[in-house]
Amino acid sequence: MGLLSILRKLKSAPDQEVRILLLGLDNAGKTTLLKQLASEDISHITPTQGFNIKSVQSQGFKLNVWDIGGQRKIRPYWRNYFENTDVLIYVIDSADRKRFEETGQELAELLDEEKLSGVPVLIFANKQDLLTAAPASEIAEGLNLHTIRDRVWQIQSCSALTSEGVQDGMNWVCKNVNAKKK
Amino acid sequence: MLISMWRYLYRHFFRFWVKWIFRMVTRKCELQRICEGFVGGERTHKIENALTLSKNQVLQNATSVNRSEVEECVEDIMKEKNIKPKKDRRFKICMKACLLQISGYKQLYLDVENVRKRPYDSNNQHHEELLMKLWRLLMPNEKLKARITKQWSDIGFQGDDPKTDFRGMGLLGLVNLVYFSENYTNEAHRILSHSNHPTLGYSYAIVGINLTEMAYSLLKSDALKVHFYNSVPSSPTMEHFHQFYCYLFIEFDKFWFEEEPESIMYFNQYREKFHEKIKRLLLDYRVVLTLKI
Repeated sequence: MGLLSILRKLKSAPDQEVRILLLGLDNAGKTTLLKQLASEDISHITPTQGFNIKSVQSQGFKLNVWDIGGQRKIRPYWRNYFENTDVLIYVIDSADRKRFEETGQELAELLDEEKLSGVPVLIFANKQDLLTAAPASEIAEGLNLHTIRDRVWQIQSCSALTSEGVQDGMNWVCKNVNAKKK
Repeated sequence: MLISMWRYLYRHFFRFWVKWIFRMVTRKCELQRICEGFVGGERTHKIENALTLSKNQVLQNATSVNRSEVEECVEDIMKEKNIKPKKDRRFKICMKACLLQISGYKQLYLDVENVRKRPYDSNNQHHEELLMKLWRLLMPNEKLKARITKQWSDIGFQGDDPKTDFRGMGLLGLVNLVYFSENYTNEAHRILSHSNHPTLGYSYAIVGINLTEMAYSLLKSDALKVHFYNSVPSSPTMEHFHQFYCYLFIEFDKFWFEEEPESIMYFNQYREKFHEKIKRLLLDYRVVLTLKI
């Protein structure tokens, strides 16, 4: 065995880079979730114009998380970020029942996008810390998630504020990174 | 490593001897030398450092004295340092002004933090009135058709109810927006119409709330100190914070259109660039960031 190949073996394999897209309506909690993942302060958050990006190391992966603003005016720009996405995370404000229909429509449109076809999707039923939050099961039913057949999917209840449930969701993401159906 | 070792040695050992030698040579204490040798924000800043580093309890406590106790505190310092009012007439006036600025800045941060911590509450009549006032100031010729309406996006809120857009900035975001629209109505209208630009446009209210965050974090990190020490001869107040916010808004709008970003999607990158620019300006001891209208 040559010296070079020994050196090569010693050098540990670099983390696999994963591109994660964080989408959802405005005020769903995407930026809070992103900051929580990066262990940053979440008390001074402002509405996102454009996008934020952060890299997080997790379970041998380098997760590059793209948090895109959810305001209606900038939703047409979402498609500029679809290319090469490994996992889609869709965030829902579980306490904002008035907008369940709107958020369901946006999700359905995303699942129809050709560039996102077969991409695993994790739905975070966020804001479970609020008393008025709908349980994940109710949201799954309302959004007809059981009809999704062209990809792996999961719904996870969480609170980005207290971080409860967030790690469980991310574990699912890491397990299913390579489950993209061609 | 070497630098931090030197700093440690200087603070705990050399500083004392350097001061002692100066005192012997000039027959004046450090505070007197600063009062004579410097002016403006630099002087207040140096006085603040000297007081903070002092081992004397009276001097240390002077940085967080109440407004009403400033006079008494200066007397105590003069007694402690054996400064005769007759020999150094200017010292008392200078110290008083510095202490008002130093303690005023700390109080201003507490006041601003108090407003920020209050979340926007749509059940609070005062909050709702402020929101309606913002609409009337920005859109004097158009009536709101309902409390919850898509019209809110005309002044740059995200959805049909602004209440969720204030987030971590709480009431402070709204109070800043209203102050700007009320006191600089023409500028606010001009910027609002800029923000509707077909390619370079941005969401007016949301950008305003992001600029509140910028002003707040500059205040919190003490980056605004020298600016206030230079521009406010006594204790800075909420009014001065609002004025700085208005400066930021007008300058940001100029900056955005000069930079011509590809689209609103690059907002955060340009926001950071603008933030860095302001932080650089604030490093200058002579800095005064006021509106040029």
